[in-house]
Parts: sequence; structure tokens; C-alpha cells
Amino acid sequence: MQPEPVNNGNNMLKNIMLGMAGVFIAILIFIVGVTVGVSAANGFSFNGPSAFPVPTDRTASIGDGTPASSSSSGLNVTLMNDVMSRLRAQWYGDIPSDDKLTDGALRGMVSSLGDPFTAYIEPQYAKILEQDMTSRFEGIGATLKSVTGGAIQIVRTFDGSPARNAGVQAGDLIESVNGAKVSGLTTNEVAAMIRGTAGTTVTITLRRADRPKGFDLTITRGAITIPLVTSKMVGDGTIAYVSLYDFSAEASAQLNATLKDLLAKNPKGLILDLRDNPGGYLSQAVDVGSIFLKKGTLVIERDTKGNERSESTSGNGIAHDIPMVVLVNGGSASAAEIVAGAIQDYGRAVLIGETTFGKGSVQSPQTLPNGGQLRITIQHWYTPKNRGIHGTGIAPDYVVTRTPADELAGRDPQLDAGVEYLQTGKAPAATAVPTAAPTPSK
Amino acid sequence: MNKNRVFGIAVAALLWSAFLFGAGWMGRSLLAGGESPRRPPAPTSYPATTNPLLDEVWGHVRESFVGAIPSDTVRNYGVIRGALSSLNDRWTILVEPQPRAVEKDHMRGQFGGIGVDIRVDDFGHIVMTPHKDSPAQKAGILPGDILIGIDDLDLPDKPDLNEVAAHVRGNPGTAVHIRVLRADQRMEFVVNRANIDVPSTDWHIITDTIKPGFFIGYIGIHQFTERTGAEVKQALSELKQAGSQAYLIDLRDNGGGLLNAAVDVTSRFLNDGVVLYERKHDQADVAFPVTRDSAAGAYREPIVVLINGNTASASEIVAGAIQDTGRGKLIGEKSFGKGSVQSIYDLSDGSSVHITSAKWLTPNKRAIDGVGLTPDIAVVRAANEANDGKDSQLDRAMAALREQK
Repeated sequence: MQPEPVNNGNNMLKNIMLGMAGVFIAILIFIVGVTVGVSAANGFSFNGPSAFPVPTDRTASIGDGTPASSSSSGLNVTLMNDVMSRLRAQWYGDIPSDDKLTDGALRGMVSSLGDPFTAYIEPQYAKILEQDMTSRFEGIGATLKSVTGGAIQIVRTFDGSPARNAGVQAGDLIESVNGAKVSGLTTNEVAAMIRGTAGTTVTITLRRADRPKGFDLTITRGAITIPLVTSKMVGDGTIAYVSLYDFSAEASAQLNATLKDLLAKNPKGLILDLRDNPGGYLSQAVDVGSIFLKKGTLVIERDTKGNERSESTSGNGIAHDIPMVVLVNGGSASAAEIVAGAIQDYGRAVLIGETTFGKGSVQSPQTLPNGGQLRITIQHWYTPKNRGIHGTGIAPDYVVTRTPADELAGRDPQLDAGVEYLQTGKAPAATAVPTAAPTPSK
Repeated sequence: MNKNRVFGIAVAALLWSAFLFGAGWMGRSLLAGGESPRRPPAPTSYPATTNPLLDEVWGHVRESFVGAIPSDTVRNYGVIRGALSSLNDRWTILVEPQPRAVEKDHMRGQFGGIGVDIRVDDFGHIVMTPHKDSPAQKAGILPGDILIGIDDLDLPDKPDLNEVAAHVRGNPGTAVHIRVLRADQRMEFVVNRANIDVPSTDWHIITDTIKPGFFIGYIGIHQFTERTGAEVKQALSELKQAGSQAYLIDLRDNGGGLLNAAVDVTSRFLNDGVVLYERKHDQADVAFPVTRDSAAGAYREPIVVLINGNTASASEIVAGAIQDTGRGKLIGEKSFGKGSVQSIYDLSDGSSVHITSAKWLTPNKRAIDGVGLTPDIAVVRAANEANDGKDSQLDRAMAALREQK
């Protein structure tokens, strides 16, 4: 058992995100909310106005200003200036603004590390991401995805959201926003166009199967809270089921509130669904872990210099003893794996489903002077039993797959196995993994 | 003409990056010595502005990144590549020193090497096939030998083909130690490098079996390299001698190459007019006229050109000019549609940057970028034809020539 974590750790925790697997970024930037100062032109045009003054001198170049062949930090300025001058003299198109070139250079430099989780995020998207991580912002309350052919589609609308109230439906294709065509734009560019201050309006032209010619909806933006938890009673009302979508800032609070209601119904068992949960903040992993685990080490973090620290659960949780199953799959990543890994190590519950994503690194985000965000992988983390999961993931105690056909048909064999296990103690048939079977706590 | 086209080791690199050899080659003529009036001025002193963000970000990375910090070189390439990516142009790219060296060899059509094809098999092994009478074959390397080391270098898992090629190549007359695995036995060969030719063109007479006494000159051009112009000239002179009455130019799967080579080749078939126009940013179109050469040409005989979806870039210049001027029909499938010109600049460290510097237009000022050339006679070659030894496009082309004669 680790000693109680010192309080000053909390501030640091707040600033550390478990990077979130790529999926998380992808999902969150699709969420339509508010942003300040991002216009459509800024979002996608190389020639649009930029947030920072652009030098009028066309010879401005990337580099650090010294004519020497390399800067103190090892940048070969001569090489870069050579490329830039050739480009300015020869390129057929319009040269992007210096800000855009710098964004590209930073992206390229950071990608030279070969770590997909160490990333530079451009200013206009950094803002959206930050708001997304709070789960609260101003917009219309819909999620978007890009579909084949470059169209943008509504994935879902939140309960009570302006989008839902205005009649937006899942599956609708967005034709234009305030008259501007969105074809060929990315989802985050479209998200930036739709977001705006609560009380203002946005007009969206939509197409759907029965209205192929398209129609306009004018929607008044509002304050949006992304729901992070869904719950229900399953197994003829004997088992409580709760699903957590991610580990953003509101996750543990929403989960705790939902669990209180569920536990009041005196269920015999609890199913925590972490499938497709891409992670989020480390601090939220600690808070969520504390709900289910008694006081102890939740996760150990190490950097390359040999520094080690650990995070411990608080000891105050409302679901320390109820028999429990955790559902995981290949989309369970990062913070979700920390919680699932600790629960498995302590034998608090069995894991049912598929091997998790395997993201065992921790990123520290920081805001740069240009408003962009830099995320650096600073540590790898290990489960309480010192298991490293990076690249391998966590194998469930019982492998139960859910095929696309199951999904289409609305079947959920993983959930069914969880319910049966809690009701009868019977291990899921034929798919048991013999090497890892901790006794469930009763 | 030796019909066994000897391809050097780097031919395998074609698989690695088709665009280098297709798109990338175009416009190198802009660099070719003093003969081009459009050669851009050398960069004068460019006052670099300070970009503290790059340094600041790298400072954070050095301070706290959990993994290995890449070398300055890798980082520099990352920065340049990233800046170029902000142009959103897939043809404007940085080419690192090793692939650049391979690319140069291919433009020349000759290099110092050992004469083997290399390919990567399903296990990630590099499998060699030596060419007939090549230094590799003479030294004892057999088809199927797996390359595991070159001189002091042990090949890593999944080696980069360009890197392999760069190590195998060297000045003719020098020796290279090639270590291989053959039936699980380790073996080593000392191979003396020689000049390896990479012809870009092959040709032969087709004797028509349907129309007795009708001889067609077949000219297959695979790439537009520095030697292509001379090869086509030689082809025409030999084929004429052999009694050719019509010509079939095969540009299928020819991904392009040098702009000048395309002008040269077109000028063998058009005796007048314009081959293409080049359109630069904010500038008037510049015509590339047919080049005058009293030597062999085929200006009156019927010609047809075979094209397909991999006919790109310099190949489309030739095909487009022949179609626009009505000189001959295009037969086959719609071409790739690469209508931009890249200029290639070598940088101080051996890498190079390819920059899209212009669009080009056909003599009738058609822009084909992203559109391609539509054949006058569409013939699809079914996937199984190659296995069955059939070529319906070639058959149709011969029929077209027969009709004209």
C-alpha cells in the first residue's frame, strides 16, 4: 500500500492527460461546441487571415535567424532557408502564411520523434480540444464524422440539445454551414464553423434520404454538457449497468452520481462498461478508480531518467464491495486501461471482452505562445503489479468477442456474459483465457 | 539492341515510390546546365526571421520526452517535410540523400552496381535476382539468394530498399562484399562493380500475320530518362532500316520522367508546332516547340499510342501532343492525369526538394491534371490477359494501323 498521496500532486495531475489514444482526439474534435475567434476562412484556407500578424516581407523564413549553418539547437538553418527560398521562387501555388508554415514545421519536427502520442496541435484546434475535455461548451450538441466521398455526417445529437430540438437527426449529411459548402473540409473545420456563443444562431443545410434536395435548419446555440455516462438495469432488474464514455473532466462526477442512483436499487451485481472508452485525464482515472477500489496504488509512472511516482486511490468510494464485471475491448485505452488494469491486479472484478488498446504512456500538454498545444509523452505507466501494457494491452480474464454482425443485429454477447457471470458465477463458455483468472471478490 | 533490359538493383525502388519516377522527374530540365533560359536565379541571401517556437518546442521535447531524441538530421528533415506539407501538394516533397542518389542514377539510366533485381518477400527478406552476365551472376550469386549484409553492414529487419541500393552501388571497378543466406547457409561473395545500364526503351519489328508484307515498328518506352531521346532516335533508325511502315508507341505503365526527354521523343513524330505549354504562377504560358533535328524521324507513317491508367506525366505530354495534333490515335485506357511540373533542387547535404513549379497544357491548351487523356479507341486489358499471353490493346492498335495503311 502506498501512503496517501500528497495534496500538491493534484495540481500536477490536473495538467497531465493520458494522452488519449488517437481515437479520442478523433472523437472529441468532432464534437460541435463553442470556439472563439475561429472562422471558416481561418479553419481551412491557406490564405485566410491568421491570428498573428503576418510579416509582409515575403522572404521571411523558418529558422532561427542566424546565418550560420546550424542553430544552437541543431536546426540546419541553411538547409531550411534554401528550401524556403526555392519554394518562394518556384512554387506554382500561393505560399501559405508564415503561421501555417510554422504549424507545418512544428508538426513535422514533432513527428520526427516517431511517437504518435507526442503531437503539436494547431491553435484553432487546440482551443476546441480544450473545451471538449471540459465536456462543457457552447454549440448545438451534435457529433460529426466524415464519410466516404468527403461528406460530413451527423453521428448523434445529445438529449435536450439545440440540435435535437431543431430536428437534426443522426445520419443527416451536412451540405453547408451559414451558406458555406463543407464538402472537402475536415470534421474539426466544420465543427469550428458550427460552434459559437450560446444565444447566437447558425444555419445548417442538411440532406437526408427522404429529403435529397436538402433543407435549412436555423439553430440557436446553447450551453452543452456532453453526457459521459449511460446506465440501465439488466438481468431482469438484478444487475446494474453503467457505461463511461471517456475520462474527461466531468467523468468521475457523472459516474458517481449515476452509481448512487443505481446502487439505491440494491442490485446483486454491477457491470462497468469501459468498451471504446479512449481515456482522458489521469486525475479522472484516479477518481474513477477510487470509486471501485480500496485505498492503494492505482498506477505507477516512470520516465526515462528513472524517476518514479505513483497515484493512489483515495479510499473513499461508494462501490468497493459489490460484485462486479468490467467490459473492455480494443477501443478501451489509456485511462480506461489504468482503471481496468488495477481492478484486474487487485482481483476486484473480472474483465470480460477483448484485449485492450495498449496505450501505456502519459502525455503532458502545454500551451505554446502561439496558442497551439504541445503534448509530449513524458512517462510510461504500469499497473499496481508493475505490468507494462504499452503496445500489448490488457488481456481480459474471459475473452468474449462482439462481431460487427452482432452489433448490426443489436446483440451484445459481452454484456450477456457479464450478466450471466454475475448471476450464476458461470464463466463464459469456451473462450476462457486459462492463464489469467483472478478470483472475483465477493 | 539487346532486348534483355538490364535493370540495376534500384529498380526495386520503383515500387517504393512511383511518384519519384513519375511525377518527380518532370522539370529537371529546368536545372540542366546553362541551356535552359528559365533556370531560376540562385537564392540570394535570405534574411531568416527568428522562429523561436521551433526552438522552444524542441527544448520541451529534450527536457521531458520519454523516448530517444532523434538526430539533428532526422529532426531537420522533419521540419522541412512538415513545412512542405502545409502546401497541401502531394508532389512537393523532400527527398533524402539515399533515395535522391537512387533517383539520380535512374535519371541517368546508368550507374555503378552489381546488376541484381531486389525485392522484399512476404517475410521481409530481400531476395535477389542477378541479371544475365552481370557482375553479381559472374561472382556466383543465384536467383533467390537472400541478402543479409553488405560490406560491414548487417541488414536490419525490414530494411529500406533505397538504403540497400545505396550501399550496394559504388564506383565501377570497386569491390563490394555481399553476404547472403542460401538454403540456411551463410555465404559471402566479393563482387566487382561495373557500369549497369538501365535502358528506358525497347523496340522490335512486328510482322503482321494478317496483312502479309506489313511491318510495324514497336517502340516501348518505360521511363523518360536522359537516354530516352537517343534511344528512340536509334530505334527509329533501326526500325526504318528493317522496313517499318507504321509505328506503335507503347506508353502503358510509363510513369513519366524528364520533361526534355518528352519533348525530344515527341519531336521524332511531329515535325512542326508545339509539344506543350508550361503555365507558371502569374505568368504567361511558355511554349515548348518541337525541336528540329535532321536525323531520323517518323513524320508521315501512321502511328498509334498505347496508354493506360499508369501512363502519367511525361508520357501524357507525348500522348497529349500526338492526340491534339491529330498525328495518331490513343488506344487503351484513360491515362493517370498528372499535369504538373516539378523542379528538383539539390540541397547542400545531398537531399533534394521537388517543387511543383508549373502546370503544363497540351498543344490545344487542355489541362489534364486530375483528368487524364481519354483514348480515341477505348480498349480495356483484362486482368488475366497477361497470364494468358494476350494483349487486346496491342491487337486493337495493330488493327488500327492496318486500317490506315
